[in-house]
Amino acid sequence: MFNGRFNHGIIERNAMLLLVLALITVSVGGIVEVVPLFTIETTVEHVKGVRPYSPLELVGRNIYVREGCYVCHSQQIRGLRDEVERYGHYSLAAESMYDHPFQWGSKRIGPDLARVGGRYSSDWQYGHLTHPQSLVPESLMPSYAFLSTTVVEDADIVAHLRANKAVGVPYTDEEMKAARDDLQAQATPGADLAALQKRYPKAVAVPGNGHGATEMDALVAYLQMLGTLVNFADTSTESLQQ
Amino acid sequence: MSDTTAMASGHVLQRARAPVEYNDEVVKKFMIASMFWAIVAFSVGVYLALELTWPAFNLGYAFTNFGRLRPVHTSAAIFAFGGSMLFGTGIFVVQRTCRARLYGGRALADFIFWGYQFFIVMAALSYVMGYSQGREYAEPEWHLDLWLTLVWVLFLVVYLGTLLRREEPHIYVANWFYLSFIITVAMLHIGNNLAVPVSYWGAKSYSAFSGVQDAMIQWWYGHNAVGFFLTAGFLGMMYYFIPKAADRPIYSYRLSIVHFWSLIFLYIWAGPHHLHYTALPDWTQTLGMAFSIMLWMPSWGGMINGLMTLSGAWDKLRTNPGLRFSVTAVGFYGMATFEGPVMSIRSVNSLSHYTDWGIGHVHSGALGWVAFISFGAMYYLIPVLWKRQAMYSTKLIAWHYWIATLGIVFYITSMWVAGIMQGLMWRAYDSFGFLQYSFIEAVVAVHPYYVIRMTGGLCFLAGAFMMAFNMIMTIRGPKAQRIALPHGALLAGE
Amino acid sequence: MKREAGDIVMGGLMVPMGLLGLLVASRAVDSEMYLFGLSLAAFAALFGFGLIKRHFDLADTQAIHTKDDPHV
Repeated sequence: MFNGRFNHGIIERNAMLLLVLALITVSVGGIVEVVPLFTIETTVEHVKGVRPYSPLELVGRNIYVREGCYVCHSQQIRGLRDEVERYGHYSLAAESMYDHPFQWGSKRIGPDLARVGGRYSSDWQYGHLTHPQSLVPESLMPSYAFLSTTVVEDADIVAHLRANKAVGVPYTDEEMKAARDDLQAQATPGADLAALQKRYPKAVAVPGNGHGATEMDALVAYLQMLGTLVNFADTSTESLQQ
Repeated sequence: MSDTTAMASGHVLQRARAPVEYNDEVVKKFMIASMFWAIVAFSVGVYLALELTWPAFNLGYAFTNFGRLRPVHTSAAIFAFGGSMLFGTGIFVVQRTCRARLYGGRALADFIFWGYQFFIVMAALSYVMGYSQGREYAEPEWHLDLWLTLVWVLFLVVYLGTLLRREEPHIYVANWFYLSFIITVAMLHIGNNLAVPVSYWGAKSYSAFSGVQDAMIQWWYGHNAVGFFLTAGFLGMMYYFIPKAADRPIYSYRLSIVHFWSLIFLYIWAGPHHLHYTALPDWTQTLGMAFSIMLWMPSWGGMINGLMTLSGAWDKLRTNPGLRFSVTAVGFYGMATFEGPVMSIRSVNSLSHYTDWGIGHVHSGALGWVAFISFGAMYYLIPVLWKRQAMYSTKLIAWHYWIATLGIVFYITSMWVAGIMQGLMWRAYDSFGFLQYSFIEAVVAVHPYYVIRMTGGLCFLAGAFMMAFNMIMTIRGPKAQRIALPHGALLAGE
Repeated sequence: MKREAGDIVMGGLMVPMGLLGLLVASRAVDSEMYLFGLSLAAFAALFGFGLIKRHFDLADTQAIHTKDDPHV
């Protein structure tokens, strides 16, 4: 029968054997937990409405990521009664399927933002990001006024869409060709948004200042569509099952 | 007879062997770096605590706000301080327990040291400049990830090379932990950082995976950054420095074996406990919870092995404050590895997730276990490396111990209260059946606890300054006339 | 301390590394890559300088010892 001491000595006297056995041991858990998430088809629910980010929203999302917004705000409503009541329908896996990287977050110093889209007016969002305490006096949030003074560099937006396509986001050629124009149109007051909203349903036009989209415009455009894509009234419980 | 007893019992080895010329220069560099980064990490932590207590301290600039500074703190604590300790002690331990000089030569060892410091500095600069992958404990962008991979592979090469040229036939238990830490972190780092850059001449990249799969991969990585970087590697430290300082053999060889293999197997599965009640499928959450609970056992196996090593030598805690740090560390390790499995239970997690309880748990592990075992190792190592009789001031070590412990107690108790308060307030209903509290009311309610937490952090930082002073005075002090090594240490050349 | 082959190997590798740094800095599209490229080049230069300095410092110490040693 297995004599722990004797058998283990064989491993202790052989560094490569120790290395290989340890590597095998630590690989098992990851394989079992990660691989089926790609192969089990219902992991991502079959719901309608989720679409890739519009160019301006994508820029806004990148700002959200780089500023570390996820360290204070979650974007994942749990299936708990009080949470659903406070924030809306619990978050579906499908709703973040184009999120590279995911931004579910792990801490709520501020409230969850999974369905913040449309909850506040764009004016409120601009005001709050510029000076949070002016709208929520006890807020701990820092000021992001500097975003208003930075113009979005849109020259490489197509490269961003291409990189997203390389990791599985289904941007079409048409969308890539129109990317730069779409980006500016979404932040230009009075622009014709019909084509943009055909490509990206429920994209929200932000006021802008008419001199080119700023980073603040991009961030608000992103925030204003969060959680708005899936029409839950139109979704059956079967389609929500994982 | 097991090598563990031969190694740590202080018996003179019978065979006369040529003294080995160890590469201690690189170990010294890592110890100095560790001390420096500890102070940086704790200082940034205190500043973050200030920002959360009084948000005016964000100052309105992009590069000083909480969102950009937080990864500076976490990277400095885990990778700069923790990492430098692991590299330094790992190199020290592998050479001593193998009776072999570090493989690869001194230039390579220096490149590993400076290359790692380069990674740390570049990463911190990138965060404040506004570059981040948006993944906790994996924020550096792809070009820095590649650089780290290079340094890491070289570290594995010199570590493994030293093991392969060892004179002792058996590999001592500390090395099982260091080796598994090195290879597992490599696997996790590569797996979690797969990304496509927008341009090879730009820092921005998009992660290879998205949504729920990305979440699982991130927490497969994130929890095992804790499990292997902050646990397995530091257990390696424990397995060497506690027997050395206490002059006792490790309590149980058999327990070492069982605890090692079960720990490294079970830890990997724990990731999903960061994702309870999210869109991660139920089966994955359940696996994560079950394995997290099972993980309690090998963790406490390690704790028992470490603590019981003191049996017959408990009186040393009165006279050796450095050892006090190491032993207290193992106690906090036991506490944190009990709290973790409890928080992994779904119903508990439904209250604790997203709250400050998680922050309290992290810091009981980071300050109580990681930092304390590091301080214990450093207080042992500094006199040995610089060939001094002892640390400059034993009394100052004791002061450090008490103020740091006080700091930890302030920190974790305030965060327990804040976290549970948040969890309860968020889910409270009034008698009409409406949610009782708005979100901001919970923010206001925890403010006093944020003040206490900041005080705890200040205490911990003050202790670190004491240690740095003690270290500098020791290094500048006179060399020992006769090298009086602690009784358990092997003779010259070991 | 004696001369090691590793010193030459690492020193040699600093050349392509420094050049890579300059290449990255020259083609950088954002401030981070620019800083990274310059820093990489500086690292290679400083590390290489350090290796050369140590080589000559050791040679000097050995020369002094040889000079003082009547048996050489």
